[in-house]
Amino acid sequence: MIRIQGLVKRFGPLEAVKKLDLEVRPGEIFGFLGPNGAGKTTTVKMLCGLIKPTEGRVEVAGFDVASRTLDAKRSIGLVPDEPFVYPKLSGAEYLRFIGELYGVPLAEQKRRIPELLEMFELEKWGGELIESYSHGMRQKLVIAGVILHSPKVLLLDEPMVGLDPKSARMAKDIFLTLAKRGTTIFMCTHILEIAEKLCSRIGIMISGELTAVGTLADLRARSQGAPLTGGGWRQGTAVPGGAGSSPLAGGGSGLEDVFLSLTGGREYADLLRNL
Amino acid sequence: MMVGLLLRRKATGLVNGLRSLSAYEWVRNLAFTAAGLGLLYGLYSGFHRLLAYLTTVELIGRLLIWKLTAMMMLTTFSMVSVSGMLVSLTTLYFSFDLRFLMQAPLEISDIFIEKSLESIFFSSWMIGLVLLPFITALAQVSGYGWDFHAAFIVLLLPFLALAASMGIAFTLILLYLFPSSRTRDAIYVIATLSLTLVYALIRFAEPEKLIRPDALHVVADYLNFLQAPTARYAPSWWLTKGLSSYASGKTAVFWRCCGLLYASASCVYGLLLLLASRVYFAGYSGAQEGFLRRLKAPLGPLLETRVGRWLGADQAVSILFWRERKCFFRDVKHWSQILLILGLIFVYIYSVKRLPLDNQDLRSAISFLNVGVAGFVIAALGLRFTFPAISLEGRSWWVVRSSPVSLPGLMRQKYLFSAIPMTLVALALGVMTNILLEADPFTSLLSLSTLLVMTWAIVAMGIGYGALFPMFNVENIHQIESSLGGFVYMTSSLAYVGFSIMILSWPMQMHFRERFGKVAAWDWRIAAVCAAAMVLLNGAAFLVPWAMGRRKLEAYEGTA
Repeated sequence: MIRIQGLVKRFGPLEAVKKLDLEVRPGEIFGFLGPNGAGKTTTVKMLCGLIKPTEGRVEVAGFDVASRTLDAKRSIGLVPDEPFVYPKLSGAEYLRFIGELYGVPLAEQKRRIPELLEMFELEKWGGELIESYSHGMRQKLVIAGVILHSPKVLLLDEPMVGLDPKSARMAKDIFLTLAKRGTTIFMCTHILEIAEKLCSRIGIMISGELTAVGTLADLRARSQGAPLTGGGWRQGTAVPGGAGSSPLAGGGSGLEDVFLSLTGGREYADLLRNL
Repeated sequence: MMVGLLLRRKATGLVNGLRSLSAYEWVRNLAFTAAGLGLLYGLYSGFHRLLAYLTTVELIGRLLIWKLTAMMMLTTFSMVSVSGMLVSLTTLYFSFDLRFLMQAPLEISDIFIEKSLESIFFSSWMIGLVLLPFITALAQVSGYGWDFHAAFIVLLLPFLALAASMGIAFTLILLYLFPSSRTRDAIYVIATLSLTLVYALIRFAEPEKLIRPDALHVVADYLNFLQAPTARYAPSWWLTKGLSSYASGKTAVFWRCCGLLYASASCVYGLLLLLASRVYFAGYSGAQEGFLRRLKAPLGPLLETRVGRWLGADQAVSILFWRERKCFFRDVKHWSQILLILGLIFVYIYSVKRLPLDNQDLRSAISFLNVGVAGFVIAALGLRFTFPAISLEGRSWWVVRSSPVSLPGLMRQKYLFSAIPMTLVALALGVMTNILLEADPFTSLLSLSTLLVMTWAIVAMGIGYGALFPMFNVENIHQIESSLGGFVYMTSSLAYVGFSIMILSWPMQMHFRERFGKVAAWDWRIAAVCAAAMVLLNGAAFLVPWAMGRRKLEAYEGTA
């Protein structure tokens, strides 16, 4: 459903994404992890046609994003990291706008817009201008918008940021249900617990390079050896003077341990010492 | 007092901003500065001619000059007050850094002092600067030395501070009484209405009568006009009086006026601080609260999509148009601009009506030349409404860009949304002018059709340049208007208007030769060349910025 071949993005001298090759299958929830500035959001932007790749090819739902842009976009639902939407529209109007933009039949809009507003506990706010919404409410509205047009591929960039625990739980359930129905989900997140619970496969990007891909078990197995920073595998480093239970000690088995182990932890250890 | 620290922070930001300017930005800013200085020089030349003429009027020449000065100062005072009202609204209640400042361990009075000084500066510097060419011209014409300028500056500083402080006080009280973000909307409308009123009052006061005393039939009328109130107890009069006293060597009166201005400014600012200590935080807190509207969910067929379907238009363009209409009319800043435009059109038509033209040929000629002036008005309106249209997608740019809407579709929608009201304005200006001037049918037809084509081309340029210079991350629309892109758009539009008039002046000349009875006045080869030139010019105006803008937008990679 998502096929990425030799994807490169350069911003002047900076190579933000380096020769990325990846395939995400229908019904799969793929977690895309990495430290800040690793190139995750840049990748998402290329997948949905917000920016053009310097090299390489992206295919979404069978459409080449470069040559059949509109067909590809019709199949995509994007939840960006910053859910900024038209402040002078009301929540219901925004959903109506999205419905029309993506060609959702009117009868379906009439049925689903109130349903979605209710589902996300926005029914009382549907008639208010978005400028009066909190960050979390806007996030919920944007998620409702992508669900409204039932995309084949969901691109989620930090979708849980700002959501209250109940809404976050509901969003997780929604994503799982959609995946079961065959929707492909590509999710960038820093909340490792979510990635751990939702994602069938996880990719870790460091400095524009996809350094590890696999199931949690695969990654765990690889992280037993040595952490990775940028170029290649390196000998692990325990936290000097750190608590024995520190994830950096390499003894844990959760995704957080794996992530920290793979992305290296010396800076983190230094920071802890100086606190 | 932490005010020093807060002000130093501003200064550091300014210095850092200057240091980080690239060579290109330096050149661009210098170009802007040069253009600004050119404008000031133009104003100086105009004032110089006017004042030089007034000095030649026997007996009352001096009186006329000081009368004009008093009127200018009164206008300046009201404009700075209104400006202070608007600027303080943003700086005191809605600027980005307030969230940080309010939670920092700072006295509310320190924050207020820093923000109010910022408001005073930003609401008065430009208006104050425009007075300089007038004063320089006055000094030149009257033979005053540089000390006259110094005396003016000494008087001007408290004058501007006083005017801005009064505007700030108004905002402060209003936000306290009605602590809601809706008050911001109300202030925008009140301020614009005041400006429109000041503008209309100045126009209807017929200041041209100052230059043409003969226009007033009876001497008594003229004397009455001179006696018309210039608000003798207002600070503008103290400034004028102080200045005229200094010029005539009455230093005691000058110092008295000076004292009055400084004492009033200090007193008003002191009262402002007192007021702020009681009401500022309550108003700030209220202004952060939203306003609930309870709009009905639009679940029926939408007007735009129905019309679009009927016209066979792209569905995406129709729905974008619907969204644009909703967002546009809900933004009160746009209402205030519309009020201003209506005032402008009214005054424009009134001015045309007042033109002292008795000759039928002259009326037709003016009707044709009116196309140039109306074209300028359309270009200026485009700078406010058309050019920023793409950039106003703002941080919601991702919604449209990630959706199945083509960029040409988006640009077409923006074009349509601007072209409709602009066409109405062009028709109002063109048709009314032709009717009032009783232009002959050929001139009426040529001028009106030219004006319409010009309007559509200028709108296309506005959208094209807007796409070529997108600015999705700005705090307000003025940053878009005053950007390099705005400058390029305005220059190109004005050049286009100029070229159009130049080309069409040939057929107009032939038409006038025919009117004056010349046989075979029309040379059809020249007419054909003119037609071809117009097609080329308009083709370039429509297509070049549009194509360049579309390419730029497709490659846009900035954050939004």
